[in-house]
Amino acid sequence: MTDGDYDYLIKLLALGDSGVGKTTFLYRYTDNKFNPKFITTVYTASNPNGTTTGKTFKVHLQLWDTAGQERFRSLTTAFFRDAMGFLLMFDLTSQQSFLNVRNWMSQLQANAYCENPDIVLVGNKADLADQREVQEKQAKELADKYGIPYFETSAATGAEVDKAVITLLDLVMKRMEQCVDKPPAEPANGNGATKLADGQSNEKKCAC
Amino acid sequence: MPEAVDMINLGFLSESEQELILEVLRRDEELRQAEELRVRKLKTELLDVKRKGAKRGSGRYSQHSCGRCQEPLSRLTVFSSQCKMCNHYVCRNCRTVLPKGSWLCSVCAKESDVKKRTGDWFYDQRVTRFSTLATHDLVRASLKKRPQLKKRETAGELLLRSTEIIPDSPTPKPRTKQNHLSRANEDPSTENSESIASRESFESKDSVWPHLTRSDTESAENSSITSSKTETESSRVTPEQPRREDHSVQSSSAESGVSSSTFPVKADIVPEVKLDSSSLDLDVDRLFKKSIKRDPRPSECVSTLDLHNGQNTSGASMGNRSHSVPGLDIQEDGEEEEDIDSLVNFHKRKMVSSSSSLHSSKSTLGSLMSLYSEAGDFDSVEVSGEVVFSMSYNERTQSLQVFIEECHGLACGDTTRQLSNPYVKCYLLPDKSRQSKRKTSIKKNTVNPVYKETLKYSINRSQLYTRSVLISVWHYGRFSRNAFLGELEIPLDCQDLNSPQMERMALMSKAASALPTSAFSHYKGDLVISLKYVTPKKATPEKVKGKKAVTEEGGELHVLIKEAKNLMAMKPGDTSDSFVKGYLFPITAKTTKKKTPVVKKNLNPHYDHTFVYKQLALEQLKEMCLELTVWDKEAMSSNEFLGGVRLSSGEGSIKIGKEEVAMDSVGEEVSLWQKMMQYPDSWAEGTLPLRSTMKAEGK
Repeated sequence: MTDGDYDYLIKLLALGDSGVGKTTFLYRYTDNKFNPKFITTVYTASNPNGTTTGKTFKVHLQLWDTAGQERFRSLTTAFFRDAMGFLLMFDLTSQQSFLNVRNWMSQLQANAYCENPDIVLVGNKADLADQREVQEKQAKELADKYGIPYFETSAATGAEVDKAVITLLDLVMKRMEQCVDKPPAEPANGNGATKLADGQSNEKKCAC
Repeated sequence: MPEAVDMINLGFLSESEQELILEVLRRDEELRQAEELRVRKLKTELLDVKRKGAKRGSGRYSQHSCGRCQEPLSRLTVFSSQCKMCNHYVCRNCRTVLPKGSWLCSVCAKESDVKKRTGDWFYDQRVTRFSTLATHDLVRASLKKRPQLKKRETAGELLLRSTEIIPDSPTPKPRTKQNHLSRANEDPSTENSESIASRESFESKDSVWPHLTRSDTESAENSSITSSKTETESSRVTPEQPRREDHSVQSSSAESGVSSSTFPVKADIVPEVKLDSSSLDLDVDRLFKKSIKRDPRPSECVSTLDLHNGQNTSGASMGNRSHSVPGLDIQEDGEEEEDIDSLVNFHKRKMVSSSSSLHSSKSTLGSLMSLYSEAGDFDSVEVSGEVVFSMSYNERTQSLQVFIEECHGLACGDTTRQLSNPYVKCYLLPDKSRQSKRKTSIKKNTVNPVYKETLKYSINRSQLYTRSVLISVWHYGRFSRNAFLGELEIPLDCQDLNSPQMERMALMSKAASALPTSAFSHYKGDLVISLKYVTPKKATPEKVKGKKAVTEEGGELHVLIKEAKNLMAMKPGDTSDSFVKGYLFPITAKTTKKKTPVVKKNLNPHYDHTFVYKQLALEQLKEMCLELTVWDKEAMSSNEFLGGVRLSSGEGSIKIGKEEVAMDSVGEEVSLWQKMMQYPDSWAEGTLPLRSTMKAEGK
């Protein structure tokens, strides 16, 4: 079905309480086109200076949807470790779902591939302004505390949905660059070369 | 931590839920297979680039020739032509320039690229994190034929494999019927088997959850109509309408276990990204510096893998290939063993990556062990002198750092000329393989060398307790064998790594250096277990009245004994008939003694047996200690002890009978126990090294 015609496979996973709109969000993002022939897209990698290099890659984005319900918890957390980035979602009209973000964060820290994976906090249902229970400031503060981006989206209208996903993708791609481009700080034989590498490790490099 | 047990046990799901999940997993598998092909291709490419000509560790090369194509370099360029990653000097043609003006040699650039494209940057990190996780080991058992794929294992893959064994797995019949129905309702242009699958998973979820009374077909029809509506609706609809649809789909999604889909990414992203990227980037940089900076030890995690199990999966070698592929080995110190090592490694790599070669993890380990030889003379010199060093653990980089300050009064390695060219070599035992070897530089013609060098090991702190550091000093004999000048072994379980102190210890000869051993110093194999605390069910009042007078007040501790690995052979024919015995202290009543059935003639037995300890409060567990011991069943005489583990919070002591026994759990034994208490109702799984004795150590 896929011919492997892409440069990077990036796996993202949506998590959050039951009913916050994870599935609709992903639905919205993918625009209901479930045709697997279109699974690849062109992603323009950008370097940290904020200018695009003009070189394009094809990124195969794999989005995993999970169940928010407690009874599936053991199952869903098992899938955390396969994802490279996370869309942590809550419902702007439900204070409880916002409070649970903390729990989800600790679940992520315990189960993801590393202790501080790339996460984007997403407050969904922004269109329901009259039923809103979580204020932007509140959510922003929490996101800042964790040092992660925050977006208010609406799967109903599509607002900010793309931006949230793209931001996460960007973060993951950046992490990837950093992981790879650092000179090996620790050769297996670990002698003098160690020192050499140490001096350079502060220097960020970008291979894109 | 994800547990394999959870994955295997889908019993709590209804049949239709299981079916949904399986559907998703099968789809995932198809994708994965395509991905595997792609990865294999990429790695082959890399190998080709590497082979094309690189300096080999065995030969002497001038600094004035390119490390890649071996063309001579001009004298002027030497200073500016060293590759940052491999430190080889390379010519202009063998460089790949990076956007920011820096460059790498062609091999290193390719390596980085392949690491990104294959996702190894991710899997390497993950392996480090979950190296003690038994899901890997579980997989290894079933994947013996393709050990190199272990690292890339996904939860979905595991789950799929495990569920397909379940006998009552869903029959495909009703499925096809549904397919047909949904097809009738959907736009044929977006149609193919894949789209049915994903759409369907949403539909049938719908049928399970809010509309229990409805038939599958009804709801299937309904929801596909709904969704096609969404498709046609543009954004100018009132918020009211889509909201309702949202709810119907949301509630359905809530019911699904895990549903994944590889979605098509919107085509219109392309221009958007291009437009936004600068502002977006600034945004990200400004707001989330933290998340960008806090990159965890990316490059170091690589060699940790080797420390854990000494295996040479191709995944692992992808990581530290630059050290074991001869041409990339920056260390050309001419020690005899080096060349053999690297050649064999190189050869092995070729085998692994060219096709699925069949060495099991065990044999790989074995061959690595035998590769390591103490090439050199042991008794040519009288050992004397001392080493000054310190050890510390760096939490940030998750590494053990052995700082070698200096040596005093070493013996002369070259007795005829009365001189020594000493260097210090380090192993993190019990791993005696090449991956565990670290060396300082060689100091010429001195018996009081000053090194001030740090040797690093990337390793999880919890694993350190079972390790020890072997420091040995050698004379580098340029034209003769290296001579052994002395060694010492420091077990890490009684070492204070938080506040490092300079230590001065006398070197010992080979035999004398064996220090008082800790319970872990002899590798007895591993035990894979899962723990779960089941919280008490709050029985509703009616039920209590109707049934027993005794209400179940406590929760239960479930101990799943999965398997043991690399047990000692006790019986002729190199086997053992083993079983596991469990005690939960301080309860001494017979009820806490549990046994698994005996698994015959197997050094890697699978028990898959659960001990259940009832009527326990979570608080009680803090004061308790679970002892699991593995025994070889002897028909005629008493059973032979094969090893054991002691799980507890690791503090305090408990009374076992009349004796006061310290809860001396360490490392993983403690962390697993704590994890069990921290996350009730979910399995905490771990692979624990077996102790060679259950006697509490008198510290």
